[in-house]
Amino acid sequence: MILVMVRRLGEMVFVLVSISVLVFLIFFATPGADPAARLAGRGATPATLAAVRHSFGLDKPLPVQYVLMMKHLFVTQDLTSFVNPGEKVVPAVLQAVPVTLSLVFGAAIIWVIAALVVGVLAAWARDTVLDRLLMLFSLIGVSMPVFWLAEVANLITQARYHDTWLFSWVPALGYVPLSVSVVGWFKSLVIPWTVLAVTYIGLYGRVLRSNLVEAMNEDYIRTARAKGLSERQIILRHALRMSLITLVSMFGLDFGLLAGGGALLIEVVSGLPGVGELTYQALQNLDLPFIMAAVLYGAVFIVVANTVVDMLYAVIDPRAR
Amino acid sequence: MSLTSEDGARVAAEPASGPWRAALRKLVQNRTAMAAALVLVLVVLACIAAPLYAKYVAHTDPFGSNLDGQITIGGKSVPVMQPSPTGLGMTPIGPTWRAQYFLGADNQGRDVAARMLYGGRNSLLIATGSTLICLALAGLVGVVAGFSGGIVDTVLARALDVLWAFPVYMLAISLSVVLISHGLKLGPFTLQADSLLIPVIIIGVVYVPYVARPIRGQVISLARSDFVLASRCLGVARRRILLRDIVPNVTTTLIVFAPLMMALNMLTEAALSFLSIGVQPPAASWGTIILDGEGLLYTRPMVALAPGIAIMITVVMLNFLGDGVREAFDPRAKLRVKSDR
Amino acid sequence: MTDRIKTWLLPGILAAGLLPGFARAATPDASFAQHKGGTLKLVAASAAGTIDPQVNYTNQYWQTFINVYDGLVTFRKTSGKASNEIVPDLATAVPAPTDNGLTYVFTLRKGIKFSNGKPVTVADVVASFERIFKVNNPNAGSWYKFIVGGDACMAKPAACTLPKGVIADAASNTITFHLVSPDPEFLDQLAVPFAVILPADTPAKDMGTVPVPGTGPYMITSYNPQKALILKRNPYFKQWSAEAQPNGYVDEIDFDFGVTDENAVTAIENGQYDWEFDPLPADRLGEVSTRFPNQVHIDPLLADYYAPMNVNIPPFNNKDARLAVNYALDRQALVNIFGGRNLATPACQILPPDFPGYKPYCPYTLHPGTTWSAPNMAKAQALMKKSGEIGQKVTVITDDQGVDPALGTYMASLLNKLGFVATTHVLSANIQFNYIQNTKNKVQISVSQWYQDYPAASDFLNVLLTCGAIHPGSDSSINISGYCSKTFDQHVDAVLKTEISDPAKANQEWAAVDREATDAAPWATMFTPKQLDFVSKRVGDFVFSDQFHMLFSKIWVK
Repeated sequence: MILVMVRRLGEMVFVLVSISVLVFLIFFATPGADPAARLAGRGATPATLAAVRHSFGLDKPLPVQYVLMMKHLFVTQDLTSFVNPGEKVVPAVLQAVPVTLSLVFGAAIIWVIAALVVGVLAAWARDTVLDRLLMLFSLIGVSMPVFWLAEVANLITQARYHDTWLFSWVPALGYVPLSVSVVGWFKSLVIPWTVLAVTYIGLYGRVLRSNLVEAMNEDYIRTARAKGLSERQIILRHALRMSLITLVSMFGLDFGLLAGGGALLIEVVSGLPGVGELTYQALQNLDLPFIMAAVLYGAVFIVVANTVVDMLYAVIDPRAR
Repeated sequence: MSLTSEDGARVAAEPASGPWRAALRKLVQNRTAMAAALVLVLVVLACIAAPLYAKYVAHTDPFGSNLDGQITIGGKSVPVMQPSPTGLGMTPIGPTWRAQYFLGADNQGRDVAARMLYGGRNSLLIATGSTLICLALAGLVGVVAGFSGGIVDTVLARALDVLWAFPVYMLAISLSVVLISHGLKLGPFTLQADSLLIPVIIIGVVYVPYVARPIRGQVISLARSDFVLASRCLGVARRRILLRDIVPNVTTTLIVFAPLMMALNMLTEAALSFLSIGVQPPAASWGTIILDGEGLLYTRPMVALAPGIAIMITVVMLNFLGDGVREAFDPRAKLRVKSDR
Repeated sequence: MTDRIKTWLLPGILAAGLLPGFARAATPDASFAQHKGGTLKLVAASAAGTIDPQVNYTNQYWQTFINVYDGLVTFRKTSGKASNEIVPDLATAVPAPTDNGLTYVFTLRKGIKFSNGKPVTVADVVASFERIFKVNNPNAGSWYKFIVGGDACMAKPAACTLPKGVIADAASNTITFHLVSPDPEFLDQLAVPFAVILPADTPAKDMGTVPVPGTGPYMITSYNPQKALILKRNPYFKQWSAEAQPNGYVDEIDFDFGVTDENAVTAIENGQYDWEFDPLPADRLGEVSTRFPNQVHIDPLLADYYAPMNVNIPPFNNKDARLAVNYALDRQALVNIFGGRNLATPACQILPPDFPGYKPYCPYTLHPGTTWSAPNMAKAQALMKKSGEIGQKVTVITDDQGVDPALGTYMASLLNKLGFVATTHVLSANIQFNYIQNTKNKVQISVSQWYQDYPAASDFLNVLLTCGAIHPGSDSSINISGYCSKTFDQHVDAVLKTEISDPAKANQEWAAVDREATDAAPWATMFTPKQLDFVSKRVGDFVFSDQFHMLFSKIWVK
């Protein structure tokens, strides 16, 4: 078991190192991305450009620059931005983490509860009008571009119907820290939570329903039925328990992706200064130190989630080893 | 529609016309899937007819700026771009619900409805092209990794891990900048900056791990299955096992993946357009029209709403079709559609 | 018209020396006491880099720095034409050059203290000018190296000393500058934030996010590029000259980051912010200007929006093709995209209106003369036919900020109309400006802007269009068109010489040089934009300086 863990850890490190090297190389291969000219300012002479390049260590060979960057990011943790010189990267990322976690946790609670309701209801009422309607809405939920849905939500709650009783409570776009005001925090996040949850409600609802329906045909359910248990008891006590295994692994992967900054566009459109927004800004600015930090932060979440899910599977299903 | 899984026994019990024809027949009998297919065909036809619409119905050039244009509504001549009384800002004409400017104009005074049809072409082409690339690559990688095992498998599996956790947007931004000036030469192919192939390749490659992983798993479990082991014991060549037992199974899985990947890729195209990567103006895709509409969201919301709804309808239909295909070809396959990241 | 222009067009030296009465009367004390206090809340989409005033080269922070730092001289803090004139700031007077324009002697004011409590001395002045080189100031090589010793400092910035260029005399409290050659714009270059005076012990490196003490009414107390820049009152500030550095009304200035232009407009309408730095989104202009007419201020900008055409590669190495684009350009359409007839003026030439040396000139229109009236499509098409460039592929490179993608899209549409096969390529704003400069990227045509540094014709004609502004293969090669003409350069040099002795005559000559550049058509000039400032309801006394735009210290919120 320890050996498996060590191997897994080694693989994770390999993936992270590869990603950082690739990001680094791609950055320097992109025309116009060289930060020296932007740091020097418009109209700088070649001499000034060279001096700036030297003072930021950009004239060193790429492997040396890479090692230095990694050292500043992980060892001394004082890596600074190329766009806002002096701005430290690590605290900026740490500052964005609570925002993203607030968004993702809240949305996750909504989508898990709602998906359970949708899935169970649809399975219970399978092949009725209710089932079809629920599945249709789930499908529509899965089929909308998330950032577009967020824009439509802005349109409705910030402009068109902002003055009606329904949405007059919606605050201006932005994030209110939990420590400042609990109510403000909640209000600022309700709309983004809902928007982000919509896709996953549809997704999980559909998967849950089909798993439940499949499980209903299994032998042990037939046994339960023969014992005279009600349909409701069968679904909730027996079928649901088995189906949740799939959902838990799905949840692990999705949560990892989102917590790592995967909710990038929704954070941007909803004006939430989380890790996704930070990544977006860094990409827009082509600010390598920030890109590196944000990408590695996100990759850690993704890789860890993958590993955890794989290992869970290995525990549940020995064949998968 | 019915998602009730039916056991494979019934499929096998069909008259001896081969599993593929049986699956196709089953698909044709699925009314929801067929209705979805019909809607998709209509969408494709409408997009193909875009030049006809632009020329004979809307009488407009959907790619040329038309900032001082006039149209006649109810006998009155109305400017396409309406100046405000203060001389600050111009508002494009809203939906007229007539032949011209049916859905209104964008900030260049162009007919949004006509652009929607042209944009649909690009969106559908990108979704289809990237799906083909993705499935081909994923099939190849999955089979090679799963069937070879050992060091090849390890290397490919790690490569998939890296790709999976790699920031798509960074790759896309960088690639699109690199290509403007230099283009990309891959053997006989030259990739230019305005080529549709850029979003096609980016989206196609990005989702390879997503398909390749289950394929690899499938190949590994097939390779360990009793009938393959039996064949091996009988001394059947590895190549033969590959072609006879593995490839057909993998192909089925890929077919099941196809409509769902198309749906996913269409959403991804929209997300990339949001970052100005992919189709470049004055050409359009549904994603870029959403971006155009973003700047007009509060004054002319239709510009952003229409392409979003078009994407939604198309993706819903692709999913319906995907459900039908899955039921027909591989009722046991557990697939999920992932949202765009 | 000409008369008024002539008066203010005289470069700073003379104008400031001869017309001291031009300044506005200082704000009466009673009104000051009444409106003093409160917090001014500003907002921008993002931070603008380092807060080292000797390094940062952005409008966003220059507008902020002038409330925090002072140079020996500055532009008058007022509105209108008078804001282009140079007045003494930390120096007691604006000196006239001696020694054939090679020597300037300043006397430092006494009793002024930095926000850390230390007095400003002549040693600080010397150190500040050495620091310009030590921190690799972007214009060290183009402006300040003409100080004696500047060349050596450019070669070895870290060891920079200017013992023969900037000489302090503590006894008489004077600083003497010696130049290598006469520079008619030397005082302008001293009046911008690069040449502010900082404490001599300021570290000789880009300070990044660490504030440096200054002499103005405010000091930077904290800076987080993800969040905000906070300015509070400088406890050691005592007003010495209302026209150079007026005391501020508000007690605190909060400059928040991370709010998009669209959301900021709504927030200002609701009174949550007082002003946004970024231009308002074009689709909100109509709404804002009709609903809140009293909160909208429109002022002219000394700037150009233009499409530089690369004169060294096809198809725009063909002059006929460049002329065709110029004749075909519907500048009114571009103005409409930018925000309507009240927010921009169509333009054909290089120098913006009301600039020194500006004489209205527009050959590229239906009725060539002084102003643009309508495109001349027939002539454009004839030129296209003559050029033989029909069917050539063209990519228009534009950035993704504000109206720029729309301008780029319009350009592509126009080029297609002319017979090119054109597409637009939208790049992140942070890449685009460097990308289009690099000759390696072979950019054919792009959309760009140039805002003046200080009011001198050379800041456009010399900086942007001479051979010396081309650096092949560098991301910093500001002559984007790559236009290089020996005769044009000779003309520019000749006018620069005239400017030292006879500014009025020089302006006449600049007008000719402007015409020469316009006729060569390295650009398709689009329009001169205006600045629209949208302020909250509570903002009083909006003052717009041509040089630094809205003056934060003049605004009150109570």
